[in-house]
Amino acid sequence: MIELFRSLFTPPRHLILLVAAVWLGQSLAEKRAARHQVSAEALGNLIFYGLVAFILGGRLYYALSHLAAFVKSPLSLFDIGVSLFDPFGGGVAAVLTMLVYGRRQKLELWNTLDALTPFLAVLAVALGLSHLAAGTAYGRPTDLPWAIPLWNADRHPTQIYESLAALLTFGLVWTLKPTPRPGLLFLTFIALTAGWQLFLGAYRGDASLFMEKFPLDQVGAWAVLAVSLGLYEWRRSRDQQAGDGNVLS
Amino acid sequence: MQPTLRRILFIVILIAGLAWIGISANPADSDTAAAPQVGFSAPDFSLQSLDGQSYRLSDLHGQVVLVNLWATWCPPCRAEMPAIQKVYAEYQDQGLVVLGINSTVQDELSAVAPFVADYGLTFPILLDETGQVSSTYQLRSLPSSYFIDREGVIRYVVSGPMSEALLYARIEELLK
Repeated sequence: MIELFRSLFTPPRHLILLVAAVWLGQSLAEKRAARHQVSAEALGNLIFYGLVAFILGGRLYYALSHLAAFVKSPLSLFDIGVSLFDPFGGGVAAVLTMLVYGRRQKLELWNTLDALTPFLAVLAVALGLSHLAAGTAYGRPTDLPWAIPLWNADRHPTQIYESLAALLTFGLVWTLKPTPRPGLLFLTFIALTAGWQLFLGAYRGDASLFMEKFPLDQVGAWAVLAVSLGLYEWRRSRDQQAGDGNVLS
Repeated sequence: MQPTLRRILFIVILIAGLAWIGISANPADSDTAAAPQVGFSAPDFSLQSLDGQSYRLSDLHGQVVLVNLWATWCPPCRAEMPAIQKVYAEYQDQGLVVLGINSTVQDELSAVAPFVADYGLTFPILLDETGQVSSTYQLRSLPSSYFIDREGVIRYVVSGPMSEALLYARIEELLK
């Protein structure tokens, strides 16, 4: 079953999963946008501009980071291959573009983040599945009965753990009721995602190390968890006059 | 939940997170096996080239190696060949080795030599007549390329055609 899935979505076809997730996530987010006082049209445009900026920014950042290579071959800038791409640069470009667009459209930050949450939650599920298809984010060797054979060893199926955790997170954020304080839904999603990334990071076999000892992904997830819990507490403390919310209450 | 209780819960979660990171540090069961994936030692192989010479990957330890699996009938393979040849010509003196492995098990042997002549390829063309390398490298699509550093570790894997800039960028990083 897993082999069939991996054959069907072998790279670069694993990107189909992400494209499908963008479509599904955007549809679901637009459906719920009004609940967060954001128009579906504005949210759709925000996602569209963010995606365009992600694609262009990722390519431009990669080109700037490898300037000598692109000076030798400038036409490669327009190559359709996905390898000439830096996700970090793409992410920064997407966030900046969405901030500028949101400001111009006078979108409330926390309401918009809440409205975007279903989109992000679906993307997180697809990311786990794309890891499974590509065999990346693989697990440590184990002799547990549910181990999967990958890269010449029986390993923790970390990509499946990741997909299931993301699916549960999606289920939770989709069923939570709206809160009087905007932003709590988004912060709940971020805290949960960082929490399971931190937990599952212990089973990853591909971790880069921080200070040559600690898995970098886990350290990053802990920092995100700390910030999201801090912001959550800050948002909730401002609730005391406005009444209680329902998320993580 | 009361605010004080919630704050205590958050602090407990963060402390537990730190403890979990500490427990996960320096795993004893880290990988040592070779596998066709980034971060692993490149699986060794030995093949004959088109001109009858024998090549073993492990003999190239200390050099940067680009292993490219291809077939004559595969359009993306044809598309990337000029770029590979260009980069090879430019960097072979700096320690770059390119092994163009024809997946002969799914190709016509008679088509290989004319293909090499048409594209003016000067790097070694190895013949995977039994499919041994395709199997060891768990080949799923053509072309597939593996960038191997001087320690014999796979640093990048590319499925699909590579542009010139990609080749320059990856090879220059490994040759540094």
